[in-house]
This record gives sequence, structure tokens and C-alpha cells, in this order.
Amino acid sequence: MSKVKSHKVIGFRSTRLAIIFFLFILLLSMQFGPYNQFQLANISTLLIAVLSITLLTGASGQISLGQGAIMAVGGYSAALLVTRLEISMWLAFVLAIFISALFGLFLGLAAARLSGPYLAGTTLVMALAIPSIAIRFDSFFSGDIGFSVDYGYPPDWLTNLLGEISIEEWSLYVALPFAALSLFAVLNLSNTRSGRTWRAVRDNEVAASLAGINIARTKVIVFVCSSALAGLAGAIYGFRGLVAPSVYPTDLSLLLLTAAVIGGLRSIGGAIFGTFVIVFLPDVIEKITKFLELPETISIYLPALMIGLLLLITVILNPRGSAGALEHIRHRHKH
Amino acid sequence: MNSFLTAFFAGTSQGAIYALVSLGLVLVWRGAGVVNFAQMGQAMFTTYIASQLIQNEYSYWSAFVIALISGALLGALVDLGIMRPLSSRKNSLLLNSQSMRTTIPVIASLGILGVLKALAGIFWAGEERGFPAPVPTTGLRLGNTDLAITGFDLFVIGVVFLTLVLTTIFFTRTGMGLAMRASALNPEVTRLSGIRVGSVRTLSWAISGTASSLAGLLVTPKTNLSPNTLDLLLIVGFTAAVVGGLTSLAGSVLGGFILGYVIAFVNVYSAPENVFLAILIFLLLALFLRPQGILGSKEVRRV
Repeated sequence: MSKVKSHKVIGFRSTRLAIIFFLFILLLSMQFGPYNQFQLANISTLLIAVLSITLLTGASGQISLGQGAIMAVGGYSAALLVTRLEISMWLAFVLAIFISALFGLFLGLAAARLSGPYLAGTTLVMALAIPSIAIRFDSFFSGDIGFSVDYGYPPDWLTNLLGEISIEEWSLYVALPFAALSLFAVLNLSNTRSGRTWRAVRDNEVAASLAGINIARTKVIVFVCSSALAGLAGAIYGFRGLVAPSVYPTDLSLLLLTAAVIGGLRSIGGAIFGTFVIVFLPDVIEKITKFLELPETISIYLPALMIGLLLLITVILNPRGSAGALEHIRHRHKH
Repeated sequence: MNSFLTAFFAGTSQGAIYALVSLGLVLVWRGAGVVNFAQMGQAMFTTYIASQLIQNEYSYWSAFVIALISGALLGALVDLGIMRPLSSRKNSLLLNSQSMRTTIPVIASLGILGVLKALAGIFWAGEERGFPAPVPTTGLRLGNTDLAITGFDLFVIGVVFLTLVLTTIFFTRTGMGLAMRASALNPEVTRLSGIRVGSVRTLSWAISGTASSLAGLLVTPKTNLSPNTLDLLLIVGFTAAVVGGLTSLAGSVLGGFILGYVIAFVNVYSAPENVFLAILIFLLLALFLRPQGILGSKEVRRV
């Protein structure tokens, strides 16, 4: 049974968890070479996007197969702001959050009328249609080519403090603080009054509305929060080098959903675990296929096969994901 | 005038294929309460099987029939192996919540889609390949004038028409069809009157698998075959099903033809890159103006 905790206790706990995550990734990066440091930067970036799904699907029960499209909105907003208006990257990231939140507002207003499969299908169509806007209006969005953008160089005070910083380390230092902040925000949101409201809507809409909750408004608010996170993730993701339609394919949306489900849709620790799996599993499989000298056709498609199978096995064995399985084991030990 | 006819004929033959896809989606939605996002993945897989058989010098028609049968088997397998175990676990904690009960099967179907695509890549190397048509795909001529329709278009329209007639006869004239309609309407009462609701569900998955397998065989001579080619077909089929009303079989066929004309006219009078946007706008309009669909019944959809 979850008890209602005071705001102060929760704030303290989520601060602690966010800091632990921050330090853990930082310590891990010191053990790693440049390639894996870059992968850790990817984890930090994608974690923000996975959290946006945990928030949307896990906490409020709405499903989106189009988070990649919202990431594209964030990425394009930031890239356009930086290349056209020449503002700083950090300001562009913050503005990208607001622009995608606004986009989420419109999306939420449409989506609040939809449920279950209708919402899934509509967001899937959106995931295909939004990147095609960039090609349709290619004079403004520069079509297939997209925008070449990057994180730039680390500021002088940081190089003075830490010495030489490689590109991989710098990309991690850009992404990681945002990831820790998002983690903090999501932990806070889901443990306070609004989080409880969302869960009530998720579990039983009729009961929630009888308790005085405005269902439609709640759903729209969740969409706004989730889109803000996805947009931020999209901006950081694009600034690794390129903002273009090919960077935000439909497969990205599905991969993010997979991460959220494997870890456990209702658990924030699960989101972290799932993100690690989708980023590092392809690497592990590549090592194994190289070791076994499997033919190329197998090694290309094996990661996708394993991720698909993991998703299926998770859903069939325990829809609550690895976090749910862990809880289950803990319960059994107690009794 | 000529471009109008081109769009009209292209719309009719494409619309016939969309109608099949949309029919498959609606069958499973009515029969099992699941929107099957893996449907065109299944179709892609069976079309690869047919392509492999034709490469091994089987005749087109034997490959055609084997593909349809494997479509039915794959559909039944998806239900028995994955969807039925899922629905029998309804009292697990996550499935206690209302919204999750409809969400989890959607996620499962996406997993199936991913697995089928990866398997097709492993078995058939994933590169695009052509798929033969049983009749010439060149334009027909009447005397000295070129008609804007090919022999293959006529073949597609004919096959789909035949399928729709057979489906209608099955649902209105046979006991099994009646049982399927009954269990879609009220599974509890149907079970009490002695019909095996589980088998009926599996049957609707199998019929849907056959219909989408047929759609795959009919569309790939034009689009070529690769693990991803049929994705667009799913999107269009879903939109068609929503436009027609997810619960109505006749509506789904109507929706398929409407989408066929919309896409063909956008292609001819506008540009092909506008097609995705047109589909999205059309879907949103349909959801706002008539969320229950053209022929759907109103009370089925909770708001």
C-alpha cells in the first residue's frame, strides 16, 4: 500500500535519487572509453524521452506511438532557433521545451477525446506525417538534408577545472544534467497530488470523475508535461550532429516505448533500466555475433529481433516489466 | 479529364486493397477487442513466403494459395500464442486498470511486428525485391485509345470483389458467421448459448490474417517487397477503419475505397509527398466530425 507522504519528504527523496543517478553515470563514464561515454550520453538523452512515455502511459494510461515526432518538434525548434536567430544552444533547448509543450497542448486537446487503440493509431499516423512536413516545406525546414548542429565547445571554466574534454565527454556533460533534472521533475510529479490524480484517471475514469476530477483537463495536462520532456530529449538528441527527418523515424518511437515497457511502465527505475537495455543490448549482441562469426544478415537484424522478443516476453510474462517482476520476487520473500 | 480518369481508376484498385486491410483490422477489433498493429507485418511475412516459393519455381497460383493459408495459420498462431494468454491474465495488477487493458494488446502487437520484420530480414536479407503479378501490368487499350487502367488493376478489383461477396455470404448465411457476429456483440450471452467463444476469436484472427495476406499479395507487384513496404498500408487501413467506424464491416470497406480515392487524387492533383499529411488531416477530421465512423454504432465508443 502506498501511503500519502508529505511534500517535503518526497522532494527530498527525488532530489536524492536524481543526484545518485547523476553521480552513478558520471562515475561509470570515468571507467569507460570514448565510445561508451558517447553511449552514456545517448542513455541520458533517451532516458528523458523514455520518462515522457512513463509519465504518459504509466501514470495516465494514454498510449503514444509518436513520441519520436514530438522529439522532432523539439529538435527542429532548437535547430531553427540556433541557425536562424543565432541564439545560444542552452536558450534554444529551453525554448524547445516550451514549443513542444505548446504542441503537446494541441495534441492533448485532440487526444483527450481518444482512447486506447484510437489514440495509438492516431499518434502512429502522426509519427509518419510530422517528419514529412519537413520535406513538404523544404525551403524552411531544409528537407531531407536537415540542419547540421552540434554541442559546440565546452566553456573555458570547465576545461580549466577538468583539463582536456573530449567531444564524447562534452556530449555527456550536456545531456546528463538535463536527464537528472527530468528525473527529479518526473519523480516529484508522480508522487504528488497531480500524480495521484493521473493515476485515478488511468485506473477508472468514471470513479475519477465522480471524485471531482476533470478527466479531459487532466489528460491534456499529462500530454503537455510529456511533450515538454520529449521535445527536450529531441533537441539534445538532434544536437549530437544532425536534425533531419531520418533522425526521428517511426522506429525511434517504437524503440522508446519498448524501453519503457521492458523496464516497467509504472516505474521510474524501470525507465532507467529499459534505456540501458535498448542502448547497450545492440552492442552486446554485436560482440557475440562477431565472436560466433555469424553471417551479416543475422547480425544486422538480431538486435531488432531480440528487442522485439524482449517486448513480447515482458508483456506476456509480466506486463509490469522488470520492475514489476522484482517487486513480485521481493513480496514472495517476505511471506 | 484524362488525369481525372487516371486518379479514379488508381483510386478504385488501391481502394480495393485498402478495403481488405481495413476489413482485416475491423474483424479482429470486433472479434477480439484488439487493434492489430502487426497485421501488415504478418502480410509481409506471408508475401515473402510466396516470393520464396515462386523463386523455387512453384507456380504463381500455388504460391498464392499457400500464402493465404499461411496467413490464416499465422493469424491463429498470434491469437493462441500471445493474445489469448494476455487476455486470460486480466486479473494481474497492471491489467486491473481500465486504460491498460486496451493498451497492453497494442504493445504486444507492436512486439510481434518488430519480431516479424527482424525475422524477414534474417531469412530474406531484407533488401527490396520485386513480386510478380499474374496478369500484365501494362495499360489496356481499347481500339486506338489508351485506357488509364491496367489488366492487373482489373484483376485486383475482381479478386477483392469476390472476397467481399464470400465474406458477406459467410457472415449472413452460415452458422459460424452468425456465431462470430453474436460473440462480437455479446461474448457472455454467446458463451451461455453454447458457442465456444475462444474458437470464434481464433477464427476471426485467422480470417483477418487471410484478408491481409491477400492484400500483401495484391499490393507488392506495384510497391515491391521489403520488410518495411507494407507499413504505409497499415496506416491507411487503420484510417479507413476509423473513417468507416471501427465496428462495422461494411463501413470498413467503404472507408477503404474513400481512402483510395483521397490518396489517388492527392497523388495526381497535388504531390506524392503530401500523402502522409493528407492522411493525418483526413483522420483527424474524421475523428472530430464523426468519431463513431460513417457506419459505426454510436454507443460502442466510450468518450
